[in-house]
Amino acid sequence: MNMVQQFDPAQVDFSQDLGTPRAESDVMITVHIDGMPVSVPEGTSVMRAAAMVGANIPKLCATDNLNAFGSCRLCLVEIEGRPGTPASCTTPCAEGMSVHTQTSRLDKLRKGVMELYISDHPLDCLTCPANGDCELQDMAGAVGLRDVRYGMEGENHLERSKDESNPYFTFDSSKCIVCSRCVRACSEVQGTFALTIAGRGFGSQVSPSEQQPFLDSECVSCGACVQACPTATLQEKSVIDLGVPSRKVKTTCAYCGVGCSFTAELRGDEVVRMVPDKQGGANEGHSCVKGRFAWGYAQHQDRVTTPLIRDSIEDEWRPVEWDEAISFAADRLNAIKSQHGVDAIGGITSSRCTNEEVYVVQKMVRAAFGTNNIDTCARVCHSPTGYGLKQTFGTSAGTQDFASVEQSDAIMVIGANPTDAHPVFGSRMKRRLRQGADLIVIDPRSIDLVRSPHIQAEHHLQLMPGTNVAVLNAISHVVATEGLMDDDFVYERCNKTSFKAWLDFISLPENSPEALADITGVDAETLRAAARAYATAGNGAIYYGLGVTEHSQGSTMVMAMANLAMATGNIGRLGVGVNPLRGQNNVQGSCDMGSFPHEFVGYRHVSDDAVREQFSSVWGVTLREDPGMRIPNMLDSAVSGEFKGIYIQGEDIAQSDPNTNHVAEALRSMDCVIVQDLFLNETSHFAHVFLPGTSFLEKDGTFTNAERRINRVRPVMTSRTGLSEWEATCALSEAMGYPMPYERGSEIMDEIAELTPTFAGVSFDLLDKLGSVQWPCNEQAPTGTPIMHKDAFVRGEGQFMTTPYVPTDERSTRKFPLLLTTGRILSQYNVGAQTRRTDNVVWHAEDVLDIHEADAEARGVKDGDWIEIASRAGQTRMRARISDDIPAGVVYTTFHHPVSGTNVITTDNSDWATNCPEYKVTAVEIRPSSEQRA
Amino acid sequence: MSTPGDYKQQHLIKMANQIAHSIPTRDDIPGQISAHMRQFWTTEMLKTLREIAAETPDILSEDVHSALQSL
Repeated sequence: MNMVQQFDPAQVDFSQDLGTPRAESDVMITVHIDGMPVSVPEGTSVMRAAAMVGANIPKLCATDNLNAFGSCRLCLVEIEGRPGTPASCTTPCAEGMSVHTQTSRLDKLRKGVMELYISDHPLDCLTCPANGDCELQDMAGAVGLRDVRYGMEGENHLERSKDESNPYFTFDSSKCIVCSRCVRACSEVQGTFALTIAGRGFGSQVSPSEQQPFLDSECVSCGACVQACPTATLQEKSVIDLGVPSRKVKTTCAYCGVGCSFTAELRGDEVVRMVPDKQGGANEGHSCVKGRFAWGYAQHQDRVTTPLIRDSIEDEWRPVEWDEAISFAADRLNAIKSQHGVDAIGGITSSRCTNEEVYVVQKMVRAAFGTNNIDTCARVCHSPTGYGLKQTFGTSAGTQDFASVEQSDAIMVIGANPTDAHPVFGSRMKRRLRQGADLIVIDPRSIDLVRSPHIQAEHHLQLMPGTNVAVLNAISHVVATEGLMDDDFVYERCNKTSFKAWLDFISLPENSPEALADITGVDAETLRAAARAYATAGNGAIYYGLGVTEHSQGSTMVMAMANLAMATGNIGRLGVGVNPLRGQNNVQGSCDMGSFPHEFVGYRHVSDDAVREQFSSVWGVTLREDPGMRIPNMLDSAVSGEFKGIYIQGEDIAQSDPNTNHVAEALRSMDCVIVQDLFLNETSHFAHVFLPGTSFLEKDGTFTNAERRINRVRPVMTSRTGLSEWEATCALSEAMGYPMPYERGSEIMDEIAELTPTFAGVSFDLLDKLGSVQWPCNEQAPTGTPIMHKDAFVRGEGQFMTTPYVPTDERSTRKFPLLLTTGRILSQYNVGAQTRRTDNVVWHAEDVLDIHEADAEARGVKDGDWIEIASRAGQTRMRARISDDIPAGVVYTTFHHPVSGTNVITTDNSDWATNCPEYKVTAVEIRPSSEQRA
Repeated sequence: MSTPGDYKQQHLIKMANQIAHSIPTRDDIPGQISAHMRQFWTTEMLKTLREIAAETPDILSEDVHSALQSL
């Protein structure tokens, strides 16, 4: 047999575990594995080369998302011309090397090693939860172990007790082979360093933190250790309860904007576990506690699966069939149209829903309702991103893929907390930081990145809330006046007139760090050092979150960051860019899909005759050329009695939007509020129609993540409601006189592709073939576009914008002397509708207010006390937590629990360009409370 | 105490003045305000703002008044 002809690199299955990570080298070398030649990048291990040709060498401590460790001694090989039997995982291939993976000598050695392992392992395979899914079991079979000569009576670890403290997995030390895969996964993949090997020699054992129970340790429950464990030592409790899964479906997580790919593993119609997909472009096999474990809400008893209607919000809900609910809703909306006109109704799309579901809602509003009164929950998070990046770069999206951060030399994190809010990307960023990239954090809080194991921010600009633009202007001032600009880039790529105007503005003394220090609270020399670090690093990357956008100058700040990136030439290649970390799974997609009241799909203005004609032609209806109302305008008009009906898809505006007293008043004023959601949320208290929604486990469509990556969402179980969400929307549209006769989700995407130049090449077939693509995906970029603005900006020349700092109207005063800023934590997600219905509550049972010790002491507040928080908008109560993560004068809380009423106290100040609410700055006063809840 | 109509009008006044104050590039501010409003504001919002400008001119900035002339 001619072995040479058998190896085909195209046939390598990279979804299997190849034992050690891919080597990054352009130099290829050729080795012979059991006589078969294989060419691999220099640095590739013998184990990986062997796996690529199908010669799977037995292993226990090796797995291909961890660096080789060489401890289990099972993967021994023989190499011609070399003495001994080296471990194949730690031995790199060398040109011309000839390796033997199967010899009688190796068989004997491996069997001996396995025999030792098994002599200290419970022989309970038949009742073990990992039976059939255990690498130790597999390897015992692979080496042909039939007998353990040493018996089981000697000293062993078999009586060790289980740690059941974590709600999602057990730690059964008696089954541990101390291969260190869990410890290395926690360090190398997650970057938390919560696990270690305690003790020495025979007493060595895996230990969370200082030999604490998992729940009390620094473990963040990302699941990387469980994934890495080759035995049942770390095992999902769901597998223990339900058994080993019997079928698999690839899909996409529905939590944050990272958009991790997962394999849903099921028994029948029941999810057993969610396993992060190694082939997933966004996450490459990693996960966080939410995506990995907190999916139980989909089957929670609170889910409403039957349509509900009622004449008045004072009435009890009445469960009805879909037809009756749709007719009821259509009749009410049509009655409002007849009586008050088409502009008296509108809709809101959800960033938690698929592109296809969002698309049909905005189409229904424009075509069936007859108005452009369509907005999206992205209004209250990243609308300034859309505005600011479109003005400067020409497109409303981030510039990079996530992998780009691996090439960054200086990383500037502004108003974002990646380890909590985008944890899988946070882990990727931390890997790069451990390799030596500089870190600049611009945040009022000492977020985890400022100081955590093996991470120390070189620069922390701890600014006062509301002064982002002043800080960015000062950074750009340093860049401009110290000769740190990339003149060639600016000359070749940017609009010179706008650059000149910006340069004149930014060079003004009033923009210097020294002039702005009193306003920002940032020491001038500290700021200058950060500016120099970013500008001179080589590859400078900016990552930002809602701490940038949710301000009265959110859009200005986005443009200020774009200015800085252009001035320093940090656009258009790997390792650089301006990158929004999107809050929800499909913020990017919901914006792409025409959810804004002034734009059709693909960010094209409704007043553009050619574009409108294209949509009119395909949709078969005349479309309005004037923009519709945004969410706050709809609510204002409702309070004034002009806006009467709204369709709210998967958003709880009565909890998540600012100044909830005003939101409640607006909702109460309407004649028809339709809520489509999984649960009877706060908004549904004001609703007349409740249409049950589907969880991501039931959806068939696509999500688009923060890096513009379009991922398939596949139904892993049958719908609990009988109708998909887009089917329900289409039914309502048809009942209102405008049919949308799609047979399946793929047809909706086909229509999106037909109407949208940046999506022209996208189809379910392509996504199934490639796994995912990043838009633009069209004839010019048939497999997508990981990095944008490479040779030219989308708008042609990059446009500098002058960005004067305008302080917010929200100031601290004698009555309200503290500034409240809000955020979220790792275990919870947004208003908590999903995560509060999972065991994640064990980490966060209630929202608390973080307050600096000096501020607490001045008010007689002790840690754990109930306090009253009052702002100009309202007041609420929660417990206080003394924290040194925030400076004096600033307080911080989350909004995960409706009972906390955090958004009762946030004001209706908003971004000047987009009306994105100013959640991040609210002047408040705190005082001890004798009562517990408002 | 303000009436509901006042609430909506107060927001429009605040939005208009805020745009005038924050519009980034400082050349031709009225032109930029009108372009912004044309792009993002509804016909009804513009109509209401014109009424406010006529009834209580002092409440809006000069730049907003100039912008309304070209809308």
